[in-house]
Amino acid sequence: MSLDFHEQITMLSNQPILLCYHCHKCTAGCPVVEEMEFGPDRILRMVQLGERERLLKSRDIWLCAACETCGTRCPNGIDIAKVMDALRLEALRSGVTPAEPDAAKFHKLFLFVVQTLGRSHEASLLIAYKLWTLNLLADMDSGLQLFVKGKVPVLPKSIKGRDQVRRIFLKSAEAVAKENLPSANPASAQEAK
Amino acid sequence: MAIPYFPGCTLSTKASGYDRSGRAVAQALGLEFQELPDWQCCGATFPLSTDNAMTLIAPTRLLRQAQEAGGQMTTLCAICFHVLRRTQNFLQEHTDVLERINWFTEEPYLGQVRVTHFLELLRDQLTWETLRANVSQPLKGLRVAPYYGCLLLRPPAEIQLDDPDDPHILHECLEALGCEVITFPYQSECCGSYLAVSKPTVPQQLAQDILASAQHHGAQALVTACPLCQYNLDYPQQSVRGWAIKPLPVLYFTQLMAVALGLPEQVWGMEGHSVDPRPLFEPYRATVA
Repeated sequence: MSLDFHEQITMLSNQPILLCYHCHKCTAGCPVVEEMEFGPDRILRMVQLGERERLLKSRDIWLCAACETCGTRCPNGIDIAKVMDALRLEALRSGVTPAEPDAAKFHKLFLFVVQTLGRSHEASLLIAYKLWTLNLLADMDSGLQLFVKGKVPVLPKSIKGRDQVRRIFLKSAEAVAKENLPSANPASAQEAK
Repeated sequence: MAIPYFPGCTLSTKASGYDRSGRAVAQALGLEFQELPDWQCCGATFPLSTDNAMTLIAPTRLLRQAQEAGGQMTTLCAICFHVLRRTQNFLQEHTDVLERINWFTEEPYLGQVRVTHFLELLRDQLTWETLRANVSQPLKGLRVAPYYGCLLLRPPAEIQLDDPDDPHILHECLEALGCEVITFPYQSECCGSYLAVSKPTVPQQLAQDILASAQHHGAQALVTACPLCQYNLDYPQQSVRGWAIKPLPVLYFTQLMAVALGLPEQVWGMEGHSVDPRPLFEPYRATVA
């Protein structure tokens, strides 16, 4: 346990976490709380108490869809989605294996596709994701349906400023390296290659 | 009037029906969409933590293009709108971050662009009265339930589009088209968003709750402004085994507009839907002159 953890998350999220008096409005309205281990208000309590390990390893931080229902309802004006994002970032930066590894893989692949094409392309993205997560059979038939219905074009389209986009990705990776910020950022997407 | 327009990745691929119907209705109303010249992905999520400003580079490159195009930009995709509107606000307040980002993008963005959602443009610039006056096939008797989802409304202090607890903008649009508009309790509940990829059972359960509630209140169709909501609500209806809910079409508001404005079926963009909405419109088809 460390008290610094609370300060660190407060800074990263810029939210007054100590103001939470556990009225449970956030948890009552959370659309994914049934899948969670703790739920939003207990997560705030755990941040207050500095329970770093349990939080960073928790699946809850990866289940939050950032729908902002909790933050809109909070009587103390705590934007809990920001706290969740700070926890995810801290988990990635400390090298904790995400409790929902597939979510982290999708995140990396998405950046990789954008870095390559400048735009997202669902077909390439989904195929790569299926390969990487070895989850080939799970809704492949539905993927095929999307092709048949013409929802996902087979070939990706790129943009003229592709070189500029790549350059931006490289520059930001360099900046991250120079400032020694372990990143949740583009360079790591190279692993997807 | 020409309006700089950012379609976004999904509208040029999976949600092309939203794009096609949107461009067609804009043109029919005298608002010409002018696609940004060389747009890329908006980043798809707004960075929520304080030291992750790198993620703002992508939306800033788009704001910069809109700056060249006249200082205004409109979108149809609720996610792109959410990201761009929040970026616009954030950079107006944090000029230090803007300066840093400009170093990365190589072309300075001056922080003055105004991002609007097409619905906002209809409400504030065109007005509902003008829209109503342009309707040639009023959708009388069609019972539709507006589904707002999350990103179009929240967080309200930054998005400033509508009341997050009692939103009206889609209601007003559909009323202008002559629809019978139904309010149901799940109208701004989350559809599960990106969990569709990593944890599909979660959005599937949420979709069943949302669809069941809309049907219980008598809706014949759900209407949304978000391509991810549309996917999460429409697509599992045909592909998930053991789906317990009766089929309910999920439409984009622009598609209903296209029908009501009497535009030809080619621009409705309804052929890619899992639950075919077209039978609903048999009674409202424009009679060929």
